[in-house]
Amino acid sequence: MGKVKIKKKETRIDMTAMSDVTVLLLTFFMLTSTFLQKEPVQVITPPSVSEEKVPIEKLVTILVTQNGDKPQIYMELTGTADSTLTTEDLREQALVRVGEKFGVQFTREEVDAFRKQNAFGLPISKMKEWLALPIDERDKVLQQQGAGIPIKMNFDNQNLTEFQVWIQSIYAALQEAGAEEEMDSGKGIAIKADQTTPYSIVEVIMNNLQTIKMNKFTLMTALKTEEE
Amino acid sequence: MAKKELSRQKKFDTRIDFTPMVDMNMLLITFFMLCTTMLKSQTLQITLPTNEEVKQENQQEAKESEAFTVIIDGTSEMKDLNGQQKLVADPSAAKFYYYEGRLNLDELNMEETNMKGNAQGTMRYLLMKKNEAAIKLINKEKEKWQKGEINDSVYQERAKEIRNREDLERPIVMIKPTGRASYSDVVAVLDEMQINNISRFQIETLSKEDSTALEKLGVKLPPPPAQ
Repeated sequence: MGKVKIKKKETRIDMTAMSDVTVLLLTFFMLTSTFLQKEPVQVITPPSVSEEKVPIEKLVTILVTQNGDKPQIYMELTGTADSTLTTEDLREQALVRVGEKFGVQFTREEVDAFRKQNAFGLPISKMKEWLALPIDERDKVLQQQGAGIPIKMNFDNQNLTEFQVWIQSIYAALQEAGAEEEMDSGKGIAIKADQTTPYSIVEVIMNNLQTIKMNKFTLMTALKTEEE
Repeated sequence: MAKKELSRQKKFDTRIDFTPMVDMNMLLITFFMLCTTMLKSQTLQITLPTNEEVKQENQQEAKESEAFTVIIDGTSEMKDLNGQQKLVADPSAAKFYYYEGRLNLDELNMEETNMKGNAQGTMRYLLMKKNEAAIKLINKEKEKWQKGEINDSVYQERAKEIRNREDLERPIVMIKPTGRASYSDVVAVLDEMQINNISRFQIETLSKEDSTALEKLGVKLPPPPAQ
């Protein structure tokens, strides 16, 4: 009778394969991810059946919240995907142009700070003071009640609200780079408002856009999940 | 004693333990998963008329038989959210009214409708009836597309063509939200336009006649805010 050999079993599991998988997954996530941008307000967009995706370039997002029964709005800009007019350049261009219209000069430091700022929304008169603040202070200021780009109902295209000046300046900047087509067709302007926003608030933004003949735009929505 | 220990050669394990590596990777993956936006939000495109006053001769009156007006009403109230006062509307309290053609205050042709399902009398049913001709043609194309006779882009193009065909009887929908209606309900009505393949619609403000008619139906509107 042969001797029964008791094999010594290795208790350790080989983690190499596991490691391979995780590294692959990690690479996938790193390459596909676009980070959640910090926004001054969290909104839940209304559900819709529309399946059109938000464009990834040449986009002005108008973020809407309320201050009492008045709109309080912020803007986020996205430039071209190539280097024609990057997001940072678009921000700079817009700020300088708006500054010119209101007679405000920005220093290089202030412009640089603005280039890195995702969402903004303050009267231009307070912009200098705001850009001098450290970055986390800036977000706090934006969240305060009464912040936001000044806007009100306006039917007079000779006497524009600050919001309208911003939109026109952004348009001019994009036009100079030959990238205004998206804004013309309406794909480049998106209104992002919470589903519980009363229409009277959204109406003011629509009215302002209409007055400067930007009467084509999109509303940001979330895909409807329930099937009817 | 000491000599004995030195002579005993230790057998080194050549395999590297990957467990910490996996741990770290898992952590990183979790981080990326939580921080990314995989689902991009969708958009709904709308075109509004300009605010400029249109000259009388350029003005095109909507045909009475084609006009269909939807009024969206809701409730909104001041709420305290994290110490901030905000006017918030309630999407679940929405009410929908409609009338066809011109509003007649004496006979009051305005009626209430709802958005639930597509049974008789609901908004979808009414709009579908109004746009029946176009929907029938589009459904025929859709069948072909489902059978695989035509591809997706051809189907989309044909559907678009049918939606804009002048010779069909198509409605012009006027969407009139009151100030207190919620944004979500306005989007819901815009959605109905898409579902029912209606190409001509616009968002308008409530007229005085509309408010009077609503009052006759027992809807009290708040006074319009001072401009």
